[in-house]
Amino acid sequence: MNFLNIEDEMKFFQKMYVLRKDIENFLFDEGYMNIEPSIFEGYDDFIGVNSRIDKKSTVKLLDNNSEILILTPDITTGIVNKFMPRWEMGSLLKVFYYGKTYKHNGIGIKENREMGVEIIGERNPNTDENILNTAARIIAKYSSNYLFEIGNSKFLKGIMQSCSFKKEDYENILDILYLKNRQELKEYLSKLPYREPMSTLVNIFDLEGTFEEISEELKGLYMNDLMKQGLEELKKIDNYMKNITDKITYDLSMVSELSYYDGTIFRGYIEGSNKAIIKGGRYDSFTEQYGYKIPAMGFTVELDELIKVLYKEEQR
Amino acid sequence: MSLTIAIPKGRLGSQAIDMLKAAGIGESIDEKSRKLVFDDEQRNLRFMLLKNSDIITYVENGVADIGISGKDMIMENSADIYELYKMNIGKCKISVAGIKGKKIFKDDTIIKVATKFPETAKKYFNSKGQKIKIIKLNGSIELAPILGLSDVIVDIVETGNTLKANGLEVFEDMYPITAMVISNKISYKFKRKEIKEIIELIRKEDEKYGENN
Repeated sequence: MNFLNIEDEMKFFQKMYVLRKDIENFLFDEGYMNIEPSIFEGYDDFIGVNSRIDKKSTVKLLDNNSEILILTPDITTGIVNKFMPRWEMGSLLKVFYYGKTYKHNGIGIKENREMGVEIIGERNPNTDENILNTAARIIAKYSSNYLFEIGNSKFLKGIMQSCSFKKEDYENILDILYLKNRQELKEYLSKLPYREPMSTLVNIFDLEGTFEEISEELKGLYMNDLMKQGLEELKKIDNYMKNITDKITYDLSMVSELSYYDGTIFRGYIEGSNKAIIKGGRYDSFTEQYGYKIPAMGFTVELDELIKVLYKEEQR
Repeated sequence: MSLTIAIPKGRLGSQAIDMLKAAGIGESIDEKSRKLVFDDEQRNLRFMLLKNSDIITYVENGVADIGISGKDMIMENSADIYELYKMNIGKCKISVAGIKGKKIFKDDTIIKVATKFPETAKKYFNSKGQKIKIIKLNGSIELAPILGLSDVIVDIVETGNTLKANGLEVFEDMYPITAMVISNKISYKFKRKEIKEIIELIRKEDEKYGENN
């Protein structure tokens, strides 16, 4: 039995090249500019903004001043860290990139090919819709069996903020949400002092499906201003996306490993693949650490996962 | 759209199969046969009988859409799955046990822990600030302290009879365990309605069981 021969390997590289070019050309024609991301970041800078990331999984390096660097596990962080310190008000960045991210996966270092899009500094009420449209058009090129899952982090933030949980409880609750463990959530909250938003939080796993289904479930439940704002933003997206595709589901309990998302979050899946192909969202508050809040949004396309799907379709 | 359901072999599996049959969805499963896959073409369901500890692997990798697995296995593997429903079957505890009456916990000593659940044990003792050395075993854990292989064991305790018969006692209960219905994360997005329907059927039977036991 032959495992990997040069011919097959070359075929794979050509296929990856074509796929990459294909998406790059599409994004270039859509008016995005190309940038080349850096492959390493300062460890402290990175962990500082991404506290939920698994620290053990980062690949560390030392520079000659014994500062700890990591091979980037997330390119967006690098792009913001690169441009924000010298940001000029009124600038607009509309960029795409090809790059690799790195993680320890228990066996060794896993390289992951990514294609990404970022729009930073665009004050346009329709940026969310435009980005989602671009993402949907990319995924639709490669499969008709796709699904977009959209949420809004303001809704959950609205609950969590007005419950003012201790840090430990906050993290534990996020972990439970990540697992969609309904009974454990109820049990956990019952041990904490009661706050009104908890009455909505215990029902959060019912807040998924179509926008109409969610609205129905929300009737009579507690909502504060930030939660309402998140829901309004979602509604606006729903009104727009309805006309583009019906392959959409909403989930208000969506939690991301990257904690900088602030507003719309979304993931795109293709049936038969076991990972998200597209991941993205709005991250205005991320830029705030540099002194001013700039509207920012983006997404990544997981090329390694996408190419697996394409190979599978071919072999059918 | 079809749904693949992973069920553990053994006692927990038998209980789960009884429950599925009572819920009207498991009649295609014949436990006595040596087959491992059973198709219910009418309802578009496929059942797979797997080793208890493999259920998570099948579900996490999307080979099975949903599965029934003990919380002990889920904790040990910290799997990226959804824990959709906590059942009333498979109830037990994961506990620290050792030789009856023997003092184990002293300051600043590394205690030797024999277990099938190294990750769970590490997590627990780490949260207590106790240094440990893990001795990974695959069975007859109770022998380890008796033969001097370890100071304590971390294991599933149901009635405590096995411990008692070997002169051991529970020092501390760590985590309560039950069976759970778990689901693959991506399957859940694409087949949410179907998965929720099945869970609803299981829940009804499981609650009946809970009331009677």
